[in-house]
Amino acid sequence: MDDLLNEFLTETGESIDVVDVELVKLEQDPNNKEVLDNIFRLVHTIKGTCGFLGLPRLESVAHASENVLGKFRDGELQVSESAVTVILESLDRIKEILAGLEATEEEPDGDDSELIGRLDAIAEGGEAPAAEPDPEPDTVDGEIIDPVLGRSLKAGEVSLEELEAAFANAPGPEETGEAEDTPASTETSADADQNLFDRIGGEDTVAVAAHLISQRVENDDKLSKFFEGSSTEQRKGRFMGLMLALFKDDLDAADAVGRQLVTVAGFGEAQFDGMIAVVKTVLTECHVNADTADEAVMTFELVREAVINASKEVAQPKAAAGREKAGTEQAQASKETRRSSQSIRVNVDLLEDLMNMVSELVLTRNQLLQITRNMDNSELGVPLQRLSQCTTELQENVMKTRMQPIGNAWAKLPRIVRDLTVELDKKIELEMLGADTELDRQVLELIKDPLTHMVRNSADHGVESPAERIAAGKPEMGTIVLNAYHEGGHIIIEIKDDGRGINPEKLSKKILEKGLATEGELAGMSEAQIQKFIFHPGFSTAEQVTSVSGRGVGMDVVRSNIEKIGGTIDMVSTVGKGSIFSIKIPLTLAIVAGLIVKAQEERYAIPQISVLELVRATSAEKAGDNDHKIEMINNTPVLRLRNRLLPLVYLNEVLGFESREETEERESTDDFIVVSQVGAFTFGIVVDQVFDTEEIVVKPVAPILKDLEIYSGNTILGDGSVIMILDPNGIASMANQGVSDAADDEDDQEMVRRAASNEKESMLVFRAGQDHPRAVPLSLVARLEEIEIDSVESSDGRLMVQYRGALMPLVLADENMSLRESGSQPVLVFTDRQFTMGLAVDEILDIVEDELEIKLASDKNGVIGSAVINGKASEVIDVTYFLGLAFPDWLASKDMSEDATTSRSSENVLVVDDSDFFRNMLRPILSVAGYNVTAVNCAEAAMDLLEAGDRFDLIISDIEMPDMSGYEFAQAVRDNADWADTRLVALSALSSERDVNRGFEAGFDDYVAKFDKDTLLRSLSQQFKIKGDAA
Amino acid sequence: MNDIVVREDLSLVATGSQDFVTVMLDGQMVGIPVLAVHDVLNAQKITLIPRAPDWVAGVLNLRGRIVTAIDLRRRLGLPPLDEGLSSMSVVVEHNEEPYSLQIDKVGEVLSLEDHLFEKNPVTLDPRWREVSVGIYRLKDQLLPILDVDRLLAFESNSKAA
Repeated sequence: MDDLLNEFLTETGESIDVVDVELVKLEQDPNNKEVLDNIFRLVHTIKGTCGFLGLPRLESVAHASENVLGKFRDGELQVSESAVTVILESLDRIKEILAGLEATEEEPDGDDSELIGRLDAIAEGGEAPAAEPDPEPDTVDGEIIDPVLGRSLKAGEVSLEELEAAFANAPGPEETGEAEDTPASTETSADADQNLFDRIGGEDTVAVAAHLISQRVENDDKLSKFFEGSSTEQRKGRFMGLMLALFKDDLDAADAVGRQLVTVAGFGEAQFDGMIAVVKTVLTECHVNADTADEAVMTFELVREAVINASKEVAQPKAAAGREKAGTEQAQASKETRRSSQSIRVNVDLLEDLMNMVSELVLTRNQLLQITRNMDNSELGVPLQRLSQCTTELQENVMKTRMQPIGNAWAKLPRIVRDLTVELDKKIELEMLGADTELDRQVLELIKDPLTHMVRNSADHGVESPAERIAAGKPEMGTIVLNAYHEGGHIIIEIKDDGRGINPEKLSKKILEKGLATEGELAGMSEAQIQKFIFHPGFSTAEQVTSVSGRGVGMDVVRSNIEKIGGTIDMVSTVGKGSIFSIKIPLTLAIVAGLIVKAQEERYAIPQISVLELVRATSAEKAGDNDHKIEMINNTPVLRLRNRLLPLVYLNEVLGFESREETEERESTDDFIVVSQVGAFTFGIVVDQVFDTEEIVVKPVAPILKDLEIYSGNTILGDGSVIMILDPNGIASMANQGVSDAADDEDDQEMVRRAASNEKESMLVFRAGQDHPRAVPLSLVARLEEIEIDSVESSDGRLMVQYRGALMPLVLADENMSLRESGSQPVLVFTDRQFTMGLAVDEILDIVEDELEIKLASDKNGVIGSAVINGKASEVIDVTYFLGLAFPDWLASKDMSEDATTSRSSENVLVVDDSDFFRNMLRPILSVAGYNVTAVNCAEAAMDLLEAGDRFDLIISDIEMPDMSGYEFAQAVRDNADWADTRLVALSALSSERDVNRGFEAGFDDYVAKFDKDTLLRSLSQQFKIKGDAA
Repeated sequence: MNDIVVREDLSLVATGSQDFVTVMLDGQMVGIPVLAVHDVLNAQKITLIPRAPDWVAGVLNLRGRIVTAIDLRRRLGLPPLDEGLSSMSVVVEHNEEPYSLQIDKVGEVLSLEDHLFEKNPVTLDPRWREVSVGIYRLKDQLLPILDVDRLLAFESNSKAA
């Protein structure tokens, strides 16, 4: 394809993308002059370039939309949704034509008159009734760059850009009117409605005249030397451009062209007069009537100064600067800003080559450094330092060239969402976070389409119509949030909507319809599993296939595209709440910060993102009380770090260099521990030495090394050496080998979920005996185990199993259920101090996160009540009941152990919490612990009780409550002298230091994090002890 | 970079004569088709890869590309190079991945007549037979020719090695 055309296609494509985005911005903020100017400029450029290349169809469409935009800009028209829609449509048309152009190198056939008609109608409709007699906005902006002129200008090397700059400063249509009144005006002719250009005989005459003038000046002895620098063609182009601009009254353009006319110094007044004489002769020869010719020649006076100045500038460029006309200066300035915002396109192969060369350079530099190091006082030292620094910078910059912010892939999305909102009559807000997260451009290209598709899906299928949303009690405006960030050496992109979520029932029907699974299989699946079916080939959940999505290309394509680049996609969807899709792209092509560590004389990189902190541990003998030291539990090394035990892994051991014992023996000095986090699992990696952090470009390992999960890639460091990048995930899984993991994972998940939401509770849903699901707060479950049926023993009429070196009683979760005949039985393990029991269930269904509200209290043994979990009625079990069943002495022991003060019966405890769940959960726990419990659901109710004279020894209060917060409540209690001796304990999900301090200030005696049952009980007994002591 | 274009098909067809780079491995001269060789490097700094198969010598940096180094001695069941001696690298490509074959020393390039070529003798060590295309009868010695693709087809024979 023609280079020029190719360049045009790329550039126009880019401009249109920008216009897309800007238009949406404009619609939201119609008064933003800057945005409008930008759009206008871009559309104008597109139009101009089309004309330049002789693409009439494109030009006419662009022209029509530019017209409308011009009216917007001049304030003649109000920016309206309908107008923007039509303009967007015209952009789409332009894209279509461009696509055709790209395929065939010719403008495709088609009729745009309808579209243009609509655009014109909008432009007309906005015209003020008292319009100027001859506003013709396109005279100024439009015809100047007509095809003929465009081409000749090219020959004359008056760059389009320069003209653009001039046009940008050209007066708008209404200003043209004023210009006509200026003394320099050409309005001397009798027939005012015909301008000079037409009277001279239009373009044809001008073209002929330009040709002749160009020849004459060449042959003229006095003038020829001033035009030597240019060919006849170039000169012709310049004269033509100049005349067109002059005759059409576009002074700025004329000025710009005029300045280019003469390229040799010394062109003064006399020479200019000579030139004008030539022009006049030529015009007369072209049968232009004498008056008109005079008038035309007069117009040349307008550029006299510019032409002469330009010539002087050639002689003394610096001195001339000050004498420039203000207008010219402006044109210059705008040219400069344009240039500074420019970028150039470079072939990626070229960048790759550059990168290779730089690496080579680095190697050479290192060799040089090595050589000079061995030479004393070499004078090479200083320049070499400089070279070294430059090389490093060069390398960094070259590496950066491949990276692009993910925002580039998002650029189209606001437009897409905006179109959808109009088309589907929805209200959707698109929020984009982390747009500057950098991605390798290859990856970027590959995820562009999947992302677009997913956002479309969210807008189409996810977000409901305003009516539905209001009915569902949600704000009318739906939100789609795009979020990109680095995590654990991956780039995560989340697409989150607050729409209707994915309905598993509807999905099930569809799955059956399509025969992807049987009813039986579906019955055995959790909702999450069913929802994942959207990733199966050929799935679309919308009841109607809209033009937007659901064209058969579904999420399966998205998934396969993402998997192609080694990524994963996951989804969490809650019916009625919305869905979150998260795409995880491995760091293979991305730049990450890596911590460089050493083990056995080799360096390794650990992705900084998974490094929490670095700890230096002193060897056990030398360590003082305040030093960190590695301690052993049954030959397992751990580190005490801020009251937590951190499991340790020795890198030397992981890499198979030497065993831990050997490392320890060898190492008489300190240990360096890299504290890493994988998911919610935190562990320490003991390394020989820690260096600094470097930005590294991750390269995938060779195929033969793919199986080594301890590496996530390799990279070339600044000094040219290759090092392996460790994968903390792989190391963690190596460290976990042999330890039971399923439960850990569950714990991790639970922690993650808990971190994600405070108000929601993670519930473990299982089935036992009955059909309906049962649930237990995950925080109460110590572990999940699969117990071999063979290992279950019966003793004293009770079921037992050997578990972790002790006997653990097994209790059936329901009287109606029985253990399996063979295989293994899922068991939930609960632990309370020294008591550990297993609760045998039929099946563990799922872990769900939901706001838990006990709807129906139950008096059935072992059941707290019923709640709706994940859309299904579930029984929430009472763990204390089962603990009592397993250990008849459990309750007694409870009393024993905590009976530090008086007998409990007299101690009244008031629980204030707006969460039904907590009230219902705390009551049994506290009752079992021997307190008299009263529970209310808000602070006001508690105050009422207190005012009514009820006395409580201790109040446990939530912090976050509607109307009256826990802080206010505590203050109110403290303000009343009668209740001064009541102990106050805060129980809250907010457990940052600030919150805790605030709690103490408000008057709480203790502050306990929610979910922490043991601490709560301990705190209670402590508070009572304090109270007892005080009394 | 050299401008040698690697021919798609490196199999030995009867077209008169073929060129080979000869390399030394534990006293044995071995030929590698010259068109398969991208680079010959002197001793390079090789980064070890713990936990990798033992015939993977490590990775090295070749002008910004990370190249996996294959210890040919180990791959062919030969004893390791004597202490203190460093190996040279012959860089080849397989499935668009660069690999460096670590050998003792590079010899000369030989242009060999096709009629000197013979198939592997059946009694050849299976490890050699697996990666050798055949043998050229030189005047004073025999020259086995390495089949680079088979040598590097780890996907299929990594278990065997």
